[in-house]
Amino acid sequence: MQKSRMSPFVFVIAAAAGGCGRDAGREATRLDADATRDANLVSGHIEAWGWNIAAKSLQKLVPGFERRYPNVTVNVNMTGANLQTRFLLSLSAGVGAPDVSQLQMVDAPKYIATGRMTDLTPVAAKYERMFPPSLWRNCKHDGKVYAIPWDMGPCAVYYKRELFRRYGVDAGQIETWDDFIAAGKTVLERSDGRTKMLPLATTSLGAMYEILIQQNGGQLFDEQGRIAINSPQSIQALGVLKRLLDAGICANVQMWGHEFMAGLKSDTIATYPMAVWFGGTIKDTVSEYDGQVSDWGVFRLPALEAGGLRTSNLGGSVLVIPDQCQQKEAAWAFIEHALCTVEGQVAQYKNFDLFPAFLPALADPFFDQPDPFYGGQKASRLFATDITRIPPLNRTQDWVQALRYLEQSLSRWATSDTDTTAFFATLEQKLHRRIGREISPASLSTIGGG
Amino acid sequence: MRTETRTTVWSNVRRHSHFYLFISPFFILFAIFGLYPLIFSLYLSFVKWDGLTAQTWVGLGNFATMLDDEILRTSLWNTLVIGVLYVPPMMIMAFVFAVFLNQPWLWFRSYYRAAFFLPCVTPMVVIAIVFGLLYSPEKGLLNYLIGWIDHRVPFVDLEPIPWINSERWSKVSVAILVAWRWTGYNMVLMLAGLQGISREYYEAAEVDGAGVLQRMVHITLPLMRPMFLFCGILSLLGTVYMFDEVFVMTRGGPGTSSMNFGLYLFNTSFADFRFGYASCVAYTVAFFVFLAALIIMRFNRSHQD
Amino acid sequence: MRRAHGIGGTLKRLGTYLALTALSLVFLFPFYWLAVSAFKTQGQIFSTPPQWIPSPWQWSNFVDIYRETNLIRAFVNSVIIAAGHVTLSLFLCSLAGYAFAKYPNAPGAKRLFAFVLGTMMIPHAVTLIPAFVILMELHMANSYWAMILPGAAGAFGIFWMRQYIAAHVPTELLYAARIDGCGEFGIYWRVVVPIAKPALAALGIILLIGSWNNLMWAFIILRTKDMETLPLVIYLLQGETRTPFGMLMAGGLLATLPLVIGFILFQRHFIAGITSGAIKA
Repeated sequence: MQKSRMSPFVFVIAAAAGGCGRDAGREATRLDADATRDANLVSGHIEAWGWNIAAKSLQKLVPGFERRYPNVTVNVNMTGANLQTRFLLSLSAGVGAPDVSQLQMVDAPKYIATGRMTDLTPVAAKYERMFPPSLWRNCKHDGKVYAIPWDMGPCAVYYKRELFRRYGVDAGQIETWDDFIAAGKTVLERSDGRTKMLPLATTSLGAMYEILIQQNGGQLFDEQGRIAINSPQSIQALGVLKRLLDAGICANVQMWGHEFMAGLKSDTIATYPMAVWFGGTIKDTVSEYDGQVSDWGVFRLPALEAGGLRTSNLGGSVLVIPDQCQQKEAAWAFIEHALCTVEGQVAQYKNFDLFPAFLPALADPFFDQPDPFYGGQKASRLFATDITRIPPLNRTQDWVQALRYLEQSLSRWATSDTDTTAFFATLEQKLHRRIGREISPASLSTIGGG
Repeated sequence: MRTETRTTVWSNVRRHSHFYLFISPFFILFAIFGLYPLIFSLYLSFVKWDGLTAQTWVGLGNFATMLDDEILRTSLWNTLVIGVLYVPPMMIMAFVFAVFLNQPWLWFRSYYRAAFFLPCVTPMVVIAIVFGLLYSPEKGLLNYLIGWIDHRVPFVDLEPIPWINSERWSKVSVAILVAWRWTGYNMVLMLAGLQGISREYYEAAEVDGAGVLQRMVHITLPLMRPMFLFCGILSLLGTVYMFDEVFVMTRGGPGTSSMNFGLYLFNTSFADFRFGYASCVAYTVAFFVFLAALIIMRFNRSHQD
Repeated sequence: MRRAHGIGGTLKRLGTYLALTALSLVFLFPFYWLAVSAFKTQGQIFSTPPQWIPSPWQWSNFVDIYRETNLIRAFVNSVIIAAGHVTLSLFLCSLAGYAFAKYPNAPGAKRLFAFVLGTMMIPHAVTLIPAFVILMELHMANSYWAMILPGAAGAFGIFWMRQYIAAHVPTELLYAARIDGCGEFGIYWRVVVPIAKPALAALGIILLIGSWNNLMWAFIILRTKDMETLPLVIYLLQGETRTPFGMLMAGGLLATLPLVIGFILFQRHFIAGITSGAIKA
């Protein structure tokens, strides 16, 4: 973390101005590995920021937590406009940040790289093996832990059993994306073009791409943060996208848009390859469609090749403790209670459908319960399968920006059908210029072209 | 001889030492918060920086990014549309009101002036929230009135307008708000301009038999041109950098339909924390706005006669 | 003269009064709605048909906003910041403006002034990020100074004061004061400032309005509840999920009232300030 080039000039001014801001003490306190051993010694008031159901979920845990730690009070703040903007501003200003904050998994590397988060390594060490390795990659920087994974979004395919029956498709036979595409073509044909297999908008291919590369170990960046998008895995993923689009089985509808939601209740869309958090939306929206009682099921995500990984991850959040926090032990106690205990994680899944990232929680019998909504299928267990095998994705601080460029490029590619191999070479150059990162020596353009 | 010149300059400075003393507090603060930011911002246009970690030199990379930035294009387009929507009606209203208020026989001038001017004195955040209420599609007063007219007035068929919930109407909603706010301000300026026109012109024209309309067209409008252009430049700057109205009332939405440049710049700077790129965008747009202002001023000068 | 206008003229005048009155009511309507909504509950605000006069009249919003937010503190903050900003700016601009006006022979004076004016061309927006960075590095974010200092030395202010002082302060008066033994600063304080009062008032009012109503910078630089200003408190009442409109209106009324009252009392100065600047430009 270099200091900005302003420092010498600023020193003069500081001497003259004798700055007098409300800065909450610059000495950062370190967390002790035994910080929360005695619940009665931990005290303080915690402000926690979160949004939507995640925040509600935290709030529901507060009474139980406060009973366990009688000297700690927690306030979960989920109102107030522009929460994320204000969080970042407070981090920069050095004052005003909450004691505990939610972050999206994809944003975590960016915030952690600012150096304004508390080092959680001493207290998190004992939980290291209890979370999937793919999630830790987002929480670590320079080998130290700065965030704790909260929930994750394992992916599978939600499908309408009735439509599969009608068009003679057996979900059990679909193992690879090519099987999926073949099934889609069958559905398209037998429904006279009425039913599309899945929703996939050409302008938002980023999410599907992110799902695919986690199945074959593809990356946007390598472990040193260099651009590594031009690789055989990327080409393989792009190939799947191409075949999906070329088969004509994709409904070109925006996620959460009108037709997307309408597709849940009509026979225009047969499947929704999505993360586990989508289940809540389906249950809320659907009771019947086309006059028939809706009949949903889940099957495992198709792999890129036979025997390949049949799951992926989309979404998820983490919790962090900003460095400014003055009651780090209390903040850690709360995080530990919410994220690192089986009761905390299972409660959040039960009440708010937040799929635990905490592996011991997944061993809870609750995950083996059949879900009547999916015809008695043990959907939770299905989603929990193989999640530790998901390869870690190197996100870096520039993930969101890079993904945006990728999505733009994919959108253009989908509508004008450019050459697949040149696609990544061009994108690589573009990212290099826009983001300013070096290109990895493992890139195909350096190896193949010279 | 030469020594004398040198000491003269220095003693000149010493004689005027109070000058430098008096301007120094201003200049110190100006240097820190006025001048240095301008330079630093220019430098930042060529780097990638999030304010907290290391800076990365990207040269012209930010400019290249600008060309590809769809949201920037949208915001500039929206800014243009909003400007076109509100500036002409606002100017006309301001001028008409100013003409009315300039009538010598008018009583209660202070009241009218206050009524029209008050909107620009009050905090925008409050006004934007009030307008947000008025614009509410289901329960807002505006749609209630529309419904009332539709109901009571025969042969008129109106539908409630989704105002700030609609991509088509969000810009109109903002335009109405801004026009409401700044009409009085422009009116006051134009009133001053009108009062600056000597009565002799009008009297001479009346003697020549010119009617009211002709007096307006041949005397008032031409002599008001400098004031019109001044108001025009103010409106230009105001439209491009408009922030509070959009930030509070629509947040740029729905989607990006009402995102204007002011909000875009704020988002890029302090929500995304892309300091380098934001500086680049700010400087580039400022440059073009400056050109536009120059053109407007040149237009003034060329028609001076 | 009046009789000469006849019936047609009187009708025209009547029409003008009608039009102006109607329009002025339209323009004032949002204020009426603000005032009235401050005394309604959420349900009453959203009632159909709308309630023109709240019945029953609710005072609870004011109680609620006092309890749930730091309203009094925010008011105090706004006052301190506005007063500080205006005082500092008036002092700097008038002192420097006087210097530029009355010491035209100092070496480099003309160039310095032209330089300052030149910077007026470049908009405020470009300076925001660096200002934020400076305050961040100095650990002065979230402070009164952070709101007072940026913009206190504005090119417009110095231009304004210089114009006025150059036009209204006779140089002979300065010589007389000097002969009387008045120090240079004394001249400024005892001779120039009293004469420049109208310009100071006008500029002060413009600065005051700007400072009081400032939302963007307050949002960026003020980070804790105890430092928030009035507009910021009102803005932050808007939540992600629910917005307490009753409270918002009450707070909005409290934030707006001082300015409205001030405006009605000092209307002439407001207007004078804005128009003289425009005429000289």
